[in-house]
Amino acid sequence: MKDLALKNDETAAPRARFELDDRGFDEVPKKYRKFYRRWDGPDDTLAPNEVLCPVCKIVIRSHRELLPGDRVYCMACMSRLTVVRGKAGRLEAVLELG
Amino acid sequence: MTDFLRAYSIQQWLESAPQGYLEDTQYGHAAGEKEPAPLMENDALREQAIRSTVQLVVGERCALAASSGLINSAPDEGSKRFLATQTLDEARHVEVFTQRLVDLGVHRTKLEDVIRLHANPNLVKFAELLLEQVDKKDFIAGVVGQNVILEGMAFHVFEMLHAANKDLNPKFGHTLSGTIADERRHVGFGENRIGSWISQRPERKGDIERMQREMSYYMLATFADAFRDAPDQEEVNRLRSNMRRDAGQENPEWGGVDLAASSPEELEGVLADTVLREFKIRLERIGVEYQTPLRP
Repeated sequence: MKDLALKNDETAAPRARFELDDRGFDEVPKKYRKFYRRWDGPDDTLAPNEVLCPVCKIVIRSHRELLPGDRVYCMACMSRLTVVRGKAGRLEAVLELG
Repeated sequence: MTDFLRAYSIQQWLESAPQGYLEDTQYGHAAGEKEPAPLMENDALREQAIRSTVQLVVGERCALAASSGLINSAPDEGSKRFLATQTLDEARHVEVFTQRLVDLGVHRTKLEDVIRLHANPNLVKFAELLLEQVDKKDFIAGVVGQNVILEGMAFHVFEMLHAANKDLNPKFGHTLSGTIADERRHVGFGENRIGSWISQRPERKGDIERMQREMSYYMLATFADAFRDAPDQEEVNRLRSNMRRDAGQENPEWGGVDLAASSPEELEGVLADTVLREFKIRLERIGVEYQTPLRP
């Protein structure tokens, strides 16, 4: 999870920071587990620091609020993704081809 | 590209799977877990479980042959290493589902007879189409067939089975959750590695689209056979409902439908539609145009 931006460019406010807890996602090495959680389906509301991996449907979590243009990595399926704002206004992740 | 391929390491696989979600498991589930007594004591339920598990063994045998066969035609070391880990994943899947047949009461000496008896001919045809590409050492078609189409199908079939079984049969549910975790890596490899190759070889799109259409047809035909022609389906559903009622469990849901209350036709429809919708999205991401298959 790499992102050097300090501010939310959409609101000019500082990005919110989040403490990550282990949600029991055991499909990646132990030290990375807090960065992921299982998705509970379409009714699962994502937090501002979360985005869904479109390839394997795992929720990726960041220490800070996510914004369009951020790059994230899904270790569960080894996909590199870019965060975008989708048509419905929600944050989504799109695959960067290797 | 170099950094990207470094993720395909044996070390990461070890830390994720054997030392992660598979740690302390036996044949994919916790030691001591057994098939539920009501299932083992009822011939209709046990036969239905054997028939559906045979299809999993057949599909996983195909995946094992395909992933191992693709290693030597892979164009880079990272892909070869990934396919080596996938080969072990698939061999494990064959083993755990075969072990489930034994747990369901199939004698080891009768395994091949039972698999031959129940293997769905359309699933076998699906496998043959994929393995033709592997035998031709066509790496791109092989990975699209294996890691996008076969694994994309398996991902949703396993999710549906997991939703239906995780409360009713925790042993099978745990076995399935481990295979789903493996499938995440497999579908990820398919999309991540193939997209860039296809963009460099646009002349291959036509062949791959034809293969997708044909494989999708046999997949749908397999689903049709499994849901429409399953013997004793009403009796099986009634018995499973009784098991849930006795255990105080709610009906499972998947894909927005009640799995216990839906008819076989409705279940076939939601599974087929989910898989095809995801095929379309996955293929678009790698630059291949989805071809609508004929409906059996």
